[in-house]
Order: sequence, then structure tokens, then C-alpha cells
Amino acid sequence: MKGITKRFGELAANDQVDLDVGEGEVVALLGENGAGKSTLMKILYGFQSPDSGTIEIEGKPVRFSSPRDAMAASIGMVFQQFSLIPALTVRENLQLAYPDLPMVPARGGGRDERLLSHLERLAPDLDPSALVADIPVGQMQLVELAKVLNLEALLVILDEPTSVLTPIETKGLHERVRQLAREGRSVILITHKFEDVSSCADRVAVMRHGKMVENRTAAGLGARELSSLMVGGAKVVPAVRVPPPTREVPLLEVRGLTAGDVFSSVSGIDLMLAPGEILGIAGVSGNGQDVLGACVAGMREVASGEVLLEGVAVQRGNGGVPDPTVVGFIPERPSVNGVAPDLDLSVNLALKGIPRLPFWMAGRKPSAAESLPLLEAYDVRPRDPSRRARDLSGGNLQKLVAARELSGARKLVVACYPTMGLDLSATQAVYARLFAHAQAGAAVLWISEELDDLLRFAHRISVLSHGKILGTVAAEGADRNLLGRWMMGAAA
Amino acid sequence: MIPSLALRRKTLAARFPWFEGSLSALSASLVFFLASLIFFALLGRSPFLLFGELLSGSLGSTYGITETLVKTIPILLCALATALPARLGLLTVGASGQFYMGAWCGTAAVLLFGSSHWAAMPLMLLAAFAGGAFWGLVPGFLRAKLEVNETLVTLLLNYVASLLVDWVVYGSWRDTSNLGWPATISFPEWVKLPFLVHGSHLHSGLILALAIAVALHVVLSRSRWGLSLRILKSNRKLGEGVGFSWTGNVALVMGIGGAIAGLSGILETSCIHGRLESGIALNFGLTGFLVAWMAGQHMIRIIPLAFVMGALLSSGDALQLYAQLPEATAVVLQSILFCSVLATGGFLRRGRTP
Repeated sequence: MKGITKRFGELAANDQVDLDVGEGEVVALLGENGAGKSTLMKILYGFQSPDSGTIEIEGKPVRFSSPRDAMAASIGMVFQQFSLIPALTVRENLQLAYPDLPMVPARGGGRDERLLSHLERLAPDLDPSALVADIPVGQMQLVELAKVLNLEALLVILDEPTSVLTPIETKGLHERVRQLAREGRSVILITHKFEDVSSCADRVAVMRHGKMVENRTAAGLGARELSSLMVGGAKVVPAVRVPPPTREVPLLEVRGLTAGDVFSSVSGIDLMLAPGEILGIAGVSGNGQDVLGACVAGMREVASGEVLLEGVAVQRGNGGVPDPTVVGFIPERPSVNGVAPDLDLSVNLALKGIPRLPFWMAGRKPSAAESLPLLEAYDVRPRDPSRRARDLSGGNLQKLVAARELSGARKLVVACYPTMGLDLSATQAVYARLFAHAQAGAAVLWISEELDDLLRFAHRISVLSHGKILGTVAAEGADRNLLGRWMMGAAA
Repeated sequence: MIPSLALRRKTLAARFPWFEGSLSALSASLVFFLASLIFFALLGRSPFLLFGELLSGSLGSTYGITETLVKTIPILLCALATALPARLGLLTVGASGQFYMGAWCGTAAVLLFGSSHWAAMPLMLLAAFAGGAFWGLVPGFLRAKLEVNETLVTLLLNYVASLLVDWVVYGSWRDTSNLGWPATISFPEWVKLPFLVHGSHLHSGLILALAIAVALHVVLSRSRWGLSLRILKSNRKLGEGVGFSWTGNVALVMGIGGAIAGLSGILETSCIHGRLESGIALNFGLTGFLVAWMAGQHMIRIIPLAFVMGALLSSGDALQLYAQLPEATAVVLQSILFCSVLATGGFLRRGRTP
């Protein structure tokens, strides 16, 4: 790709960008949210056409007007949001994308073998007749990848593949990526995680504000160097650790909480948090985290048990009265659980106060004037309060929900993966605001998969596995191996 | 769409808020006009003469205009009754059932209290509200409490309501002096709303319907309640989480919607037919449903569309009388109009840059 430029109105999303990828090479494409990585890849994949610049494959210039053209040129892309059909089986999903599929696909036989061969190498233990809805996210990603490989893609683009994966799945994916490279395929890995770079990239290309600012070999590149490349001159301000509370007075008490459905559930959860305490909940996602967070925050009905905030029952159901004004809650998957997608950003930001507006809102309607400072403070882009939440990217939605839930006084903050999809500086910014609530005396329940961050910032860490708390330790001096065993489900 | 054209459209739309609306209205009318020309030509008649007939039949005389407005009233009310639940994301097709229940209950009130000059009308209206509201609350309750699909329930309740009306007009409420015609006794004059144009059917229900449309529009756009409906529609769990009641709002919109449709039922019964008869809902419920969706559930935009539908319905009589075309012609024209509006709307949206 040479001299690629793409403008959206005033903004140059890509400004004279050059990128080349060799055969069998893994290039990590880095940059903060909104640096122009996705735009560049959408151009390469034929989703958008550049205003200027050229794309050449094996020396021949090509022009893509649709992903179909790109696929024909052996380019495949795996998106952050998967394009699998949950109600169909893995095999059926692969068949849908398979070229020249007969009207009535026969099971078994050579064709089936070819259809599944890539998947078998990527995920040997995945049953092709399982419904996509029932398999973990990490495996969905591999199915997507198999779909792309079935099209004989020689260049595979992976858009932030590890942001939704557990640590173990991440490791697996890194191996698959290396494997692809060994087969002579080229891979572009969009990411902002250092471990993706260190464990599988040959070369690093860094974008900043629409420009390609660095393009060098990955070997010998340190995390610190990488992060300064990504943010440029701007410094990432690391969040400050909040001292643990000195007195053990319970502010939040969770007693025997049991809730959930067949997909995700928790049972018999007991927790106790002092004012100013940060309790980290570690564990592999899919072990009931979403249910635990939503129930403690009073968003989801409990089957039994209580959530007591200052001694008052605030759970939904079982006689509790939820009080959303004093509870901040960053849910998992904010695009689904945290915003009203059809409403504008002003309304989404003002959401918690709307039930207390007078019937005739008149001058107290959620307004741009109120929401602009919040969009500014949390760096939500675009900074346009009249845009609908639906139009925001995943990272910006995450910031939007954080802006709503973390601004204002809170007695309890429940944060589920609050930094999912955020870049380095945004992550630290959200951490800083989250921990500031602990500093101010709120109880903070922080559900995360980033064990390093939990160990660094939380006061105590509990491990959730199969819907149960397997153990709780003080974060300081915690034994990683013990935590790891708990996370794998081994009882204390 | 050609890029430069799309760009120009964007700048125009930004400068004039009404631009997009008038563009779609204009193009829909044009498509409708052309498609109807083809239809008339297929009938083997001069399309332009028939169009003239159509226009003069519905709008060319005082009689035509009042008849058009008379037909507008129930369509408008049924459209409002459909649009309100849609603001919460509920898809109801039950306006005609609620129409019948309003007529049924209102008639019951007239039969019971009709002799009282001062109490009969308010009681009749109240009963009609209650009947329509009840017929909306039943599917509302099933939806809110048991997650039963409201579209199916409202559809099926339509049959129940129309059969209930048939049951009484063929049975115990039938006026024997009608010589076998299935209808109740004629309503006394004092239960009829004042007529707006002397000697016509045009009654002051028109003003009532317009007032309801405007009131709904104001409440939905200015009040916290309107905003809460939008939030619940967009993300129910989140709306409930911040403290809005899904169940309560389902009951409200279904109940109010039903009451509005019930009002249209009793107005038709008392002011147009003067008694309860079988089949008085005609296609009002369905037409109202389509009007509501063509207007995008916008309470004010519903008004002109309901008027156009009223004009088409009343011109159907004219086509039948003067051009000797079958009655179904008006229905065909109506469907051509729906298709034009929906198709051009979809086409124009596709050209819009996200």
C-alpha cells in the first residue's frame, strides 16, 4: 500500500500511509483508538476506497471496490464483531462461506474434509456440529479464521483478535498466527497489546493520527518503547494505587447471592467491602462474571440472597430496592448492556437522572451543554452529543458508559472489564477515575481478566470460577500460582 | 446515488430541516401517480379522466370534502392507536378489535342509560374508552407478564371482537323493527357529537381526533414519559435498570392506544351509522396501522396521511358511481399508495450516507 489517503470531512483518517507485508510475515499494526488502523485495513479489504494512493499485490496494482474483490485477490479479514450465525452449527457456518457449495451439501466425504481441514488444525477439539451460540468466544474467532482460510487467503487481517480472549485462548491464537506464517501466509494483526507484538509479530507498524509513524522489526522492542511509539510525545499517566482502607467496617455486603440462567450463573456468593476498598474479581470470562456484576449493581433480578449497601437491601428482587443514583455500573459489552443505541449521546449520558426529571422536562432536557464536558473528559469520539450511541465504535462506547457511571458521587462502583478495547492511555485514564471513587470512600467491585492490573491496583482479589468464589487473597504478596489454580477451577 | 448529488442532498438537508421529508413525500407521490396511471390504463380507461374523477369525487365538492374528512376520523384515530404502542416497540394490529369493543361497550351504555339526556353521552364515551382500553390491556398484560407476542394476540382478538358485535346485533340487541336487518335500535340524537357541517356526516370527532394527535405529540416529545418510552424501546433492560417500569408502560400505551381506537368505534357507531351494525370497522384498523407505519409513528405526520387515505376511500364511492368501476378499485389504489410510500422511503434511505 502506497500513499494511502482517506478523508472523512475535515478529518484525514489516513494521510499518505505506506505499508508493505512480505510473504510469511506477521505485521502488528498498532495505534491508539482512532489512529486510523481500521480505516487502512478497510481500504485494503475493499470496504472503502482510498481518496488517493495505490495497492499492489506481488507488484501488480489492484483496485478493490468491494470485499469480494479483495477475497478474490486472496485477502481475508476477521473482524472484531464476528459474522457468524449463532443459530447454525459450526459446520453450517463454514459451509455458508465456502465457495461453490452445492445446493444440498452432503455430509462426510472429501468435500466435508476440505471444509473442515483448516478448522481441525486451528481447533482440534471443537465439535463441528456444535451450535455457534454454544461455543466460547475464543473458538468463534477460530471458526471465523477457518472461514477466511477456506477461501485460500494468503493475507489474513485480524482486527484486535485478542481483545475478547482469555489469556489461555490468547496464547493459543498467537501459536496459530505463527503457524500461518510458517505456511507462507502473511498476517496483519491490528492490536494495541504489547504481548501480541512480543509473542508473534515479525514487524511493527505504528500509526498515530492517521499517519504511519514507525515501521520496524519487532525483535528487541520493549513494552515501554512500544507504548511511547503509540502515544507519541504524549505521556501515558499511569493510574495511582489507592491505599487500602484501614478500618474493616462493611459498606457493601453480599450475602448468599444466587442468580443467573443456563448460560451464566452464580451461586452462594458472599462478599464484604469496606469503604474505600477495591475488590478485584479475577477469573476466566464466562464463569458468571456478567451475572455477578449485574446483580450486585441491582440491574438483574436475583434468585436468592441479598446485596446490602450500608445495611440497606439494594438488589433487584427478593425485597430489595435498587438505587441507581448511588451505584455506578459499567456492564460487560456496553454496546448491548450499557447504552440505548437509538438515542443520542446526551440522553445516554444523562440516563441516570432522567427518572428524577419533572414530568414536563422543559429546560431540563438532557442537553449538549451538559454532555460536552463529559465527552471531553473521557475522550469520547466523535465529540458530538447529537450522535446516536449506535454510531460509536466499541472503545468509544466503553468510554461513554464509563463517563456516565463514574461521574458524580457513588457509594458503590461495579466495573466489569471497564477497559475492554481501550488503548493504553485511555485504560489508565479509566483506572484513575475508577480508583478515585475508592479514594473518596466508595466500595469498588472490579471484575477483570487483567491479572497484572488486579495485582497492582486492587486491595484484595477474589477468584470466580463456575459461578462460585473459590478464594480471596490480599493483592499484596498474592501467590500468582495459587490464583492461577483457582482460575482453572481447582478448589482451595 | 451519484456522489455529487448525494453531497448536495446532504447540504440541503442540513440547511432545511424539512428537505428530507418533502423529498420523500414528493417522490412517493410521483411514483404513486405513475403506478396508478398504469393501473388505470390496464383497466382500459383513460387514466387522466379517472384521475380527474378521483380528485373531484374526494375533494371537488363540499360533499366530497366532508365525506373525505368523515373517513379521515377513524383512520386517524386507529393510526394513533397503533403508533402509541409502537413508541415502546410494540407491534399491534389490534385497532379494529379495539374499535369494535369501543363500539360494543359504548352501545351497551346507550342501551342502558340512553334515556338520560345529560348522562348518556359521557357514559357512552367512557364505556367506549374502557372497552377499547380493556381490549388493548389484555394483549399488553400477556406481553408484559408472559412475553406472549402482542402482534398475534391483537390480531386474534380482532376476530373475537367483531364476532362479539355480530353476536349481539344478530341476537339480543337486535331491534326487531329493523325487519331482520342485524342492527340495534337507532341511537337518540343526544348521544351524537355535534355535526360540523349542517346536513353532512362530518361530526366534531374530527376536532377531538386532531386534538388527541397534537396532545400525544406534545406529551411524547416534551415529557419525561416520552423520553422514557424511547429509552425502554431502545434498551429495555437498561431502562428498567435506571428505574423505568416496563410493565407499567406497556399497560399505559396499550391501554391509551386501545381507548383511542375504542373512541373511533363509538364515534362511527353513534355519529355515522346511528346504531351498532355488523362490519362497521371496514378496513379502518388496517388502514390506520399502515398510516401509522408510513408516518414513522410520528403523531403529526399521521394527520396528512390519514387525510389522503380518507380521500382515497371516499373517491372509491365516486369511481363506483360515475365511472362504474368496482369498489375494489379504491383498495387497489390504496395498496399502490402504500407500496409507493414504503418503497421510495426505503430507496431514499439507502442513498443516505450513514
